[in-house]
Amino acid sequence: MSVRGTRIPPHLQLPIAGVTPPPTEKEGQRLFPTGNFRFFRPVYRDKTPPCNNACPTGEQIQKYLDYVKHDRYLDGYLTIMQDNPMPSVTGRVCYHPCETACNRAEHDEPIGIRSVERFLGDYGLALTDDPVKPALPPLNGTTVAIVGSGPAGLACAYHLRRRGYASVIFEALDKPGGMLRAGIPHWHLPEEILDAEIAKLTGLGGIEIRCGVRAGSDISWDELRAYPATFLALGQDVGRRLPVEGIESRGVTGALEFLREVGLGRPVQVGRQVLVIGGGNTASDAARSAIRLGGGEATIVSLEAEDELLIVAEDLEQAREEGVAFSPTTSLVRVLAEDGHVTGAVLCDARLAKEADGSVRPEMVPGTEREVACDSIMIAIGQVQQLAWLPDHLSDRGVITADQHGRVEGNVFVGGDVMRGPSMVVDALGDGKRAARDIDRVLIAEELGPEPEVEVMPYAGLNAAYFRHAPRIDAPLTPAAERRRSQQVEVTLAYSREQAAAEADRCMSCGVCNGCDNCYIVCPDVSVMRDARENGAYTIRTTYCKGCLVCVQECPTGCLEKVPEMDFDDPGDVTRMETAFAPYDGAHAEQSAFTKQLIEETIAEYDAARKAPAGNGKTTSTPNADSGVRP
Amino acid sequence: MSSILPTVYNVRKRHHVYHELTVWSRGIIMDKEARDVSSCVAAAARALGLYADNVSDYIDDPDRTNCLVRRYARFGDSPIVDRFVYENPHPDWVVLVEETIIKAVNFLRGTPDRGGVVVVNSVRDPQYLLKFLPDEMKAKIAKFVVVDAVGLAEQRGKSPWMFVRNLSELALDRMSTEGAEERLAIGLGIAAPLIGALTAATGVLPLDAVADQVADRDALLRGAQQHTVVDFTASAGTPTDGSAPDGSAAGPVPVTHAAPTG
Repeated sequence: MSVRGTRIPPHLQLPIAGVTPPPTEKEGQRLFPTGNFRFFRPVYRDKTPPCNNACPTGEQIQKYLDYVKHDRYLDGYLTIMQDNPMPSVTGRVCYHPCETACNRAEHDEPIGIRSVERFLGDYGLALTDDPVKPALPPLNGTTVAIVGSGPAGLACAYHLRRRGYASVIFEALDKPGGMLRAGIPHWHLPEEILDAEIAKLTGLGGIEIRCGVRAGSDISWDELRAYPATFLALGQDVGRRLPVEGIESRGVTGALEFLREVGLGRPVQVGRQVLVIGGGNTASDAARSAIRLGGGEATIVSLEAEDELLIVAEDLEQAREEGVAFSPTTSLVRVLAEDGHVTGAVLCDARLAKEADGSVRPEMVPGTEREVACDSIMIAIGQVQQLAWLPDHLSDRGVITADQHGRVEGNVFVGGDVMRGPSMVVDALGDGKRAARDIDRVLIAEELGPEPEVEVMPYAGLNAAYFRHAPRIDAPLTPAAERRRSQQVEVTLAYSREQAAAEADRCMSCGVCNGCDNCYIVCPDVSVMRDARENGAYTIRTTYCKGCLVCVQECPTGCLEKVPEMDFDDPGDVTRMETAFAPYDGAHAEQSAFTKQLIEETIAEYDAARKAPAGNGKTTSTPNADSGVRP
Repeated sequence: MSSILPTVYNVRKRHHVYHELTVWSRGIIMDKEARDVSSCVAAAARALGLYADNVSDYIDDPDRTNCLVRRYARFGDSPIVDRFVYENPHPDWVVLVEETIIKAVNFLRGTPDRGGVVVVNSVRDPQYLLKFLPDEMKAKIAKFVVVDAVGLAEQRGKSPWMFVRNLSELALDRMSTEGAEERLAIGLGIAAPLIGALTAATGVLPLDAVADQVADRDALLRGAQQHTVVDFTASAGTPTDGSAPDGSAAGPVPVTHAAPTG
């Protein structure tokens, strides 16, 4: 750019006009600000990635995947631990709503988030010293009562501990873990992993688990309410009964009760021909466990059609691999028994009829009854909880009623299955986290506000051109034949370190700046400043940015947005162009007058020189004689 | 030197009419609007028998998208002698075709104190826009006029802005931006209400005479009737004194009113 015609502002003025300070000097580094003449200003505004939004615990998945990308496993583990106390558990058993929501599914395939989480969880468990413990605040002297040591209760205790509260957990069974132990088979979640995760939590100090204390019989409602705050996370461990003939025969059990006995390591008798009644995940788990224990066959009898089954897709596929048979759109009519022991069942065709109000009811097809032989029947048609010990107005059909904050009354909160009905482990973990936050609020007499609004980043907001297609790395599985043999062989196996890093590398960091430097590179006006290569550490030099929006267009993650310049209402951040556009100031006009004056002076000098007496060798004595003008 | 001047110079000198109009806009995409404002004002003045110039700016790079550009018009009752200085050294009429320019430059450099009429195309509140002006710029304003020219112009498609409507047309418009003959009628679209608001707020040129030069006469009249004026001279006791004589508040307190001047 030419500096001719430029009006030099005072701070740039040097003895020689047009020579400006070099860029090594402070003043030289702020030459020619181009000011606020842009329409739009680029603004970094992180949105919520869909995975993070879908996770009930609000795990910052993008963040820990970014750490794994850069081999920072400890940071990744600590990031998970901010939201989820047991990544080794959810890394194995979670039904991964994050992967279902993943934007990458629209690009190629969703990211294997659960497997990376498991990798980080196992990394954390393998550490000799718990890295979470040193950062915990000291105990503040308040102890909160928690009923149930399932995922909701443990998560609540953990998050309370992070806030300085001690807790005492009352567990009805003789081992802690709730449904994690009594509902999830060992081939999904090995017992030693669960034990290690619970030991990790109790090792934090301030979390006491009292086993064999059943709420209602061993500890009363009034005793629970006497604590400063109470969290009810009893779960639902009572299977629904099926009112058919012969249901009282030996060999007919609840699937939930079967899984509990197996999970607690008690001796269980299973036949070689098992019918599991029900179309959900419990039915699948029970059938697969029955195959492992009895070595025989298992058939899932469900009212749902094959494509309506409520079993998670990958479990369904694994169950088929292991030889579980399916009898969809079928209903159990009655149980056949001899000497009080089940010998078979009468089934018939049926379907689920949808009522106008959205509920479903079985509809049997008359005349399709048929007999099948079997020696075990398991009922997995839903579960409730025994809540007679609670005041009547607090429970309704096996769940505890609460307001939108999960608050039952006073300082008593509820969460997990006993509030929402059968649901995911991660739902319970999220309830525990929210309950801990809300208990903290009521104990320090703060208002329980609504959940903050979040803006979820859609796939359309990303610059998809930047992301090359890369296939998902599926978690390795144990061969089906080997799985069938043992209750202890884990079905899904772990990622290697390389696999975890490669899978994390596929994350598109939806809506969150992960310091990719793209804006820094593409800015044609050197207006993007980078202090350190760390998340979100860029600043836009608004005195130079011309609003070309190349950075916004080229931001792969969509965290850069354009905001109308006029929406920024701080008069203090307005910088007007001064030097580069000095011709705008009418400088040309001023210069022409100046030039005119110079010419007139020169002519006057010339005339004066001509008028001086010549030829006598004397020079003139005008003051400007040395100005370069010669006669 | 006086012998080369036309005789009319001496006849009209007694009126002392002289105004400089600087229109600020953005290269290519909003250049036609700015050009029309200055063209119509100059043409109207000339039709009234005044001397007038209408100059485009070359330094400002009108062929660069978004770059700030200006168009100049000046008119008076005496010949404009300084024909080779095309920048207006003392603009007393300033039009901002697009509102963001209010933050961008000192568009009042050279304007006499309390002598400037500023017309801004914006839907925002005048006080919000004035917030961005430093005191030394406010001291030069006599009237601050805000007109929603986008809303008052003839509505076509998504927006009356030419660049929103049709990019291929804009490519041809670019040729007239760079000096070729005008493709479209002069005084269309957003320019018309801007000219109307400027004419009404300054009150120097008769509205009818200006309207005769404009293609969209109705939009011009809408602009002349529907705009907001912040009158700095009304509340300030003297043009140079910023204190409010009515004591309603400290400092210069502009009076805001919708001016249905026709």
